[in-house]
Amino acid sequence: MRFFSLFLVILLLSSNATAECREKECMLKEYKYQQDGGMQHTFYYNNIFNIGTNWYIIFDYPSGKSDDTISFEFSTGLSKVHTYDPDKETDSISFSGSSFTEEIFNLELYVNITGPEGPEGAFVLEIHVNKPSAEDMMYLWGGMTVFWIAIGAYTLFLSNKFRELSNKSGLEDGNREKN
Amino acid sequence: MKYSREFIGITGFLLVLGTLYFGLIQTGPAKYFTAPNAQKLFYLHVPSGLITYLAFLMVVGGSAVYLYNKSDYADRLAKCSTELGIVFGFMSLASGTFWMKAEWGGDIVSRFLTDMRLATTLAMWLLYIGYFVYRNQPETSLVKNNAAILGLSGMLMVPLSYLSSRFLRSHHPVIVGTEDQGSLDPSLRIGLYMGLFGFLLIYIFLFNTRMKIEKLERDMLKLKMENG
Repeated sequence: MRFFSLFLVILLLSSNATAECREKECMLKEYKYQQDGGMQHTFYYNNIFNIGTNWYIIFDYPSGKSDDTISFEFSTGLSKVHTYDPDKETDSISFSGSSFTEEIFNLELYVNITGPEGPEGAFVLEIHVNKPSAEDMMYLWGGMTVFWIAIGAYTLFLSNKFRELSNKSGLEDGNREKN
Repeated sequence: MKYSREFIGITGFLLVLGTLYFGLIQTGPAKYFTAPNAQKLFYLHVPSGLITYLAFLMVVGGSAVYLYNKSDYADRLAKCSTELGIVFGFMSLASGTFWMKAEWGGDIVSRFLTDMRLATTLAMWLLYIGYFVYRNQPETSLVKNNAAILGLSGMLMVPLSYLSSRFLRSHHPVIVGTEDQGSLDPSLRIGLYMGLFGFLLIYIFLFNTRMKIEKLERDMLKLKMENG
């Protein structure tokens, strides 16, 4: 009972806010891609796409390029294209947390780098789409438990009272109704 | 009918199970809610709240009759109904707290202090906890009399709690008697009425049983005193 009360208190007082991290340090995977000319791109991403949370891919690219584009296309058809910013060396794009609705394993993400004269490089990354259990389910089950605990506890209380009375009066079960 | 009490209890239990099936399985996660799953608490939270009001109103009625004619039946009724009001009040408050935490978020304590519906309902519940504790001592006529006066305060607390979300500062939704009542989705209505009727039958069953136990206790005490 003490454990249950403690659990309830922790559950109720715990914060349900989760912050999205957009820093390289938060990304679990790093992929380096070397172009023919020796120019290097580095991609930082999380290989788990959690449904409901925005998914980011951060990339370092050679500076000074303005006409190049980089496209990200999932095998499901969802895609985004980014144009290089000559003043930056790092940029990122995001996919909305609602991009997927079901779990997918080994989902391919095609990355294509295109210069002014055509394709300059292409490679494939693999991620998994995860469907986390709904956060409010805990509250639903917590709340539902309350009803059964309350009714159960009161029924037990009544049952104990009946037994107590029965012991005091020495009445048999069959004689109770007569009262 | 010999088994009418048991029949009522079992029917109530089955209706509540039906409500759970309806709310949790038949209908999907609710739309337009931040916490679409926790919204399912609605089907039992609202009925338990309404039964709490019913129980405490019965305490008021029983207390008033006792003060008027010292009826033993009225005193028993008030005492037994208080216990059930506390049980159903606990269900309503606790389930509401879980739902509130999921739907509104934020700090629970400050919500209970600033939202008038929550504050007045908690105050009403605590008042009857006080009644219950006070009754938990040898039952002299003075105790019964004072308890009846305390029980009468529900005449103020019940309407205050019920109407607080309409007239005082509160985030608590108001449905009954408003324009929103007609716009309730039929699926919500079926689940709500089934839960309400189920809890009402469970209340009647538990109340009936508790009244019977209380009568037996008093009869035994009376017999004991008569026999010296």
